[in-house]
Amino acid sequence: MTVTDARAPEEVSLRRILPPVVTGQEVVLLAVLAVLWVLLGIFTPAFLTAGSIGPLLVQVAPIALIGVGMTFVIITAGIDVSVAGMIMVCAVVTARTLVGADVPAVVAVALAVALGAVLGSVNGLLIAYGRVHPIIITFGTANVFTWLGLRVFDSSTVNNIPGTLSFLGRGAAGSTLGVPHSFALTLVAVAVAWWFLRYTRAGRNLYAIGGNQNAARLAGIKVQPRLVSVYLVTGALAGLAACMIIATGTSTLDQSVGAGKELQVIAAVVIGGTSILGGRGSVVGTLLGALLVQTVVSGVTQLGWPTQLGFLFVGVFILVAVGTDLIRERARRRA
Amino acid sequence: MTATTNPAGERGPQPCSRRPAWLTPGLLRDRTVLLLVLVVVLVVVVTVLDAVGLTSGRFTTDYLAAALIGYVPLALLALAELFVITSGRGGIDLSVGSMVSLTGVVFGMLFQQQGLPLVVSIVLAVAFGALLGAVNGVITAYFGFPALITTLATYYAYRSIALVISDQKPISGPEISEFYGAAKSVELPLIGHLVPLVPLGVFTFLLPVAVLAWFVLNRTTYGRKLYAIGTNDTAALWSGIETRRTRMLAYVTAGAVSGLVGVYTVAQFASARPDAGTSGSGMALPAITIAVLGGVAITGGIGRLSGILLSALLIVWLNASILLVVPGNEGAQAQLLALGVVLLGASLLSNATIRRRQAGGSGRREVPGSVSGTAT
Repeated sequence: MTVTDARAPEEVSLRRILPPVVTGQEVVLLAVLAVLWVLLGIFTPAFLTAGSIGPLLVQVAPIALIGVGMTFVIITAGIDVSVAGMIMVCAVVTARTLVGADVPAVVAVALAVALGAVLGSVNGLLIAYGRVHPIIITFGTANVFTWLGLRVFDSSTVNNIPGTLSFLGRGAAGSTLGVPHSFALTLVAVAVAWWFLRYTRAGRNLYAIGGNQNAARLAGIKVQPRLVSVYLVTGALAGLAACMIIATGTSTLDQSVGAGKELQVIAAVVIGGTSILGGRGSVVGTLLGALLVQTVVSGVTQLGWPTQLGFLFVGVFILVAVGTDLIRERARRRA
Repeated sequence: MTATTNPAGERGPQPCSRRPAWLTPGLLRDRTVLLLVLVVVLVVVVTVLDAVGLTSGRFTTDYLAAALIGYVPLALLALAELFVITSGRGGIDLSVGSMVSLTGVVFGMLFQQQGLPLVVSIVLAVAFGALLGAVNGVITAYFGFPALITTLATYYAYRSIALVISDQKPISGPEISEFYGAAKSVELPLIGHLVPLVPLGVFTFLLPVAVLAWFVLNRTTYGRKLYAIGTNDTAALWSGIETRRTRMLAYVTAGAVSGLVGVYTVAQFASARPDAGTSGSGMALPAITIAVLGGVAITGGIGRLSGILLSALLIVWLNASILLVVPGNEGAQAQLLALGVVLLGASLLSNATIRRRQAGGSGRREVPGSVSGTAT
């Protein structure tokens, strides 16, 4: 619970100038992001146009959205590597439902979110009550979820998906006044999560659990229900993100959906300044981290460099972001 | 960290009064025995299924031996994870798959494009792998980054470099095609007609590394230091162990072993594929899964080579059996389910036995590692 109290003097003064939402890692990230956008704007004239930023935001949305749940999980000193599997199951079930029965969009989204919540609560229950390290449980469930998803795919792609979910997509139907709906939805989720983590008892409890689980339990926090809830939320958000992924794709869904997303989400969270050891972190940082990763990947492509080179920079950014955070953490302890 | 939950100074095994004595000690407590039983059960069950005609192919020793071609990389990478995870402080290596891809490409370039002799190319590829591992090790052990972060970053970086320097095209040619012989099945000299054909890689790649790793872990001071820093980093530091260097060397080992696997995959696929270790869900996640299934504690300090070799064998043969019982695409998918269920089952089960043992107050403190006779 010492997250906001034990700050170095210079950061306290910084907090007086800036609103509390942007202190620490967020300021650094914002600066880096601004520099990158300006540089890319100079070197590739197409970058800072609405036709380029819009798709960028659409691509960031699912990563940042799941990142909100993953931030909760990592704050409790956990991790969830089964995200890709959950996306796959939710996406294929929703897509099959859309093809088979002409359900309205609300039903489709509700189905995906509910399904994701069920899968997430399986993770949560096993982790909280089985008391096995989260990375082992979610490695296991990742395999099971992937199997489940592939079974529903039944060795073929899902074709002719109707445009029911297009309000979450990248086309004209997917945005209002140039702002993609999916990104707006993600912003709302980030805002709610920020308020939750900062101003509610349940939110503060998550930091306490991540700081020291035994101490949290002895302080009267119901650790196990809280743990179940963070994995459940991550699952539900993965379900919503799956809807966005269906909407932004073509009318065909193939078996590669979700692959590699778990590491992208974790990368966004740790670049955002959330400590992988638990007890510290913010969702605003996660949003900026996701933006940074996507900016780098898109920017490299637009500069005409090999697309794969972008991930080299993602790796470097992870190290630099965590490195600066480590240095500040040490300075904080010394102060 | 069982070390912190067991009161220090307990001596000698005490009888566990809560369960029948035959149940807890052997089967459930010792992961090696559990895995061995599972392997035997698997072979018996599939043999019975074969006898009553429920399998699509013949379940023979030849079939089991041929399946070992996939055993080599899996067991080697799990062995790499054994070193890293045992070193403690959240040790884990997500980058092994990327290191396999990158060293494979480098090996292909040296051997095929530069025309270096085979032995020189292999040595250089393994050394290059060790260098990649050293980057992980320095950042983790000396700069104090959490291993998950370091290796997530290098996972992206190495994978990206492998794809960029190879222009995303596999490297192949006559020399590499000939090198395919290193992975194929051979008849053993002298006793060859008695046993089935075993892939050569088991003897040229896996066996030497396994023997060396067993020796290092159990018969050298380095091995004991590794278990010491994994069990309690601070205590190890105060006992005069150079914890940083010891931890870094664990990552270097993982890199060198990944380099060797990189060479092996080139032989196996008869071309140096830049995505060899990272396509699909990659090689790192299965390797970690196998290591954990083999009884390596994710908190460090506990893990045996025998567990690794047996759990990799179990998974490889389980996968091969599933393909016989459930043919085609469904079988390949069922392998995922099997891996997930076995991992969840084994970890939940072993956790339950540890807790029961602690609750029963008969916490026999086992010395980590596999040196027999020092356990009490």
